[in-house]
Amino acid sequence: MIPFAQVILDGLFTGATYALMAAGLALILGVVKVVNLSHGAFFSLGAYVAYVLSTKGVSNPAAAVLLACVIAFAFGVFLGKSFINPVRSHPFSVAVGSLGFAILFEQAAQMLWGPHPVSIGSGPPWGELSGVVVRRWGAVSLLASAGILGGLALFLSSRWGLPLKLISEEEEVAGSVGIDVEKIRVLTFGFASATAAAAGALLAPATSITPTMGRVPLILSLIVVIASGMENVLTIFLLAVGLGLLSNISAYLLAPQWSYVSLLTVISLLLLLRPAGLSATDPGRDY
Amino acid sequence: MRNTTGALALGAGLLLLLPLAGLDPFLLDVLTSGFLLASYVGSWDIVGGVAGQISLGHALFFGTATYSCALLTSLAGWPFAAAAVAALLLSTGAAAVVGTMSARLKGPFIALLTLALGELAHEVMIGQTFFSPRGAYSWGGEGGVPVALPWDAPSPWAAYYGALLFLFVSAWGMRRIALSREGLIWTAISGSELTARASGVDVARHKRRAFVAAGLFAGAAGVGFAAYVGRATTTDLSLELSFQAATFAAIGGRGTIAGPVLAALILHALFQGAGVPPAARVFLYALALLLVLRFFPAGVAGALRERLRARKMISGGAIR
Repeated sequence: MIPFAQVILDGLFTGATYALMAAGLALILGVVKVVNLSHGAFFSLGAYVAYVLSTKGVSNPAAAVLLACVIAFAFGVFLGKSFINPVRSHPFSVAVGSLGFAILFEQAAQMLWGPHPVSIGSGPPWGELSGVVVRRWGAVSLLASAGILGGLALFLSSRWGLPLKLISEEEEVAGSVGIDVEKIRVLTFGFASATAAAAGALLAPATSITPTMGRVPLILSLIVVIASGMENVLTIFLLAVGLGLLSNISAYLLAPQWSYVSLLTVISLLLLLRPAGLSATDPGRDY
Repeated sequence: MRNTTGALALGAGLLLLLPLAGLDPFLLDVLTSGFLLASYVGSWDIVGGVAGQISLGHALFFGTATYSCALLTSLAGWPFAAAAVAALLLSTGAAAVVGTMSARLKGPFIALLTLALGELAHEVMIGQTFFSPRGAYSWGGEGGVPVALPWDAPSPWAAYYGALLFLFVSAWGMRRIALSREGLIWTAISGSELTARASGVDVARHKRRAFVAAGLFAGAAGVGFAAYVGRATTTDLSLELSFQAATFAAIGGRGTIAGPVLAALILHALFQGAGVPPAARVFLYALALLLVLRFFPAGVAGALRERLRARKMISGGAIR
């Protein structure tokens, strides 16, 4: 019997890591202005990178995160440059195409690593406090994602982050003051995809790794983004932690697949209660 | 329209002749399931193409029908015909609910909602087990639920011609609906919701109607599939199946009914007939989809039609 406090602690760690990926999705929504359904695939990609490294005897999370980020950045730049940017003004192409990319990756992963769950060892725990184990992946994930998110918040509030904010709010102005909007969009897409891969690599020891594992964090990130928008990194963090707790607690009280069911219920309710969605996704025309 | 009638008649004649020409049972089966899949994809096109609502949860209506058939015949002991009627009502009802829920939403948010609802049904059915009334074993989960059919082993010929007839009738019906006054309103909504509303169209009501019509035809395809395969599995509710509908429609040209139906039939027959395993098949569909969306936003058929039209205009022929 796992004590409830353990579930809370692990949910906290998981949620904090999901926040990293949700922040990436929020950047895509704000700067590229599309609802991207391929984000979960990059999460799975990160997890599989960590898995392959661990089968080769490399169990250092930093190595896994770095490698996953580089690979995901490359794929993200490719996807952003060659697909998302050209079809940006067609909501159908963006939604179905980004889902298509995710399904492409899921099937590729199934062919490469098989449909069955794989896992990697989580290493010795860091410490124990009255029966509650502080797991190594948990502490590493929390520190890493807090670090990256803090860096992102600093970046966005510094003058280097100004072009991103300008594109998100006043696209035409950004173009007219000489900002290369397309280039920044592609780089943002690459960076955001890298954050999803980093989250996947960090959480790889915590979950069973399957081709479709990215769907849960995708839905979670979408909820966070619909509810919070791009501006406030702290709101994103708190929301993701809350949803991480919800998903862990429902998995603990009911059965593992209920964490997905509960998140799907939340997003359905959210869309019903907030039908206007976000104005940020409207690329200047009605659908 | 007129110049395609000949091609359609030729295709129909070939499909009618094929079993008589000694087609082997494997290909017969591939084509039979292809007819049902094509009809399902056509039903997606009503809501996704003609009405322009990005539905990514269309398998929900198909799976509702197959699971209703399976549960009502096997667990409740209903005769198949009664279960089929109930399945149609239930899938249409599910479509009415989804249509009502997404009536106020726009563009990508409809995609999110339909995706979430479809996945919700899929996950619930994966987790659900049913105790067989005959005892000793249970149904449900990934393995699915059997359908109690009035016949023992259907003749592959009867199934083939039945499915083909179903495809003809449903495709004709869907095309009629798409070209009706209601279909015209859906096309207007698809073009611009704001303009449609400005011209006095009750957008929410007509969107819901599009979902209901699509759900009815998807349910009919589901009933046909349940009768043919004899089992409802979680694949019937999967995101992959929803995705395939949107994919075939995008490749065949959205909003034409005939294009998506033909694309589904041809691609399914080609890939499954060649023995490509399921994972690789979905991989290839996804790849084809990305290329089509990127380079032929109007679909392959749409691009060909445009080219044909351009050539006719140059040569001064009649434009149809």
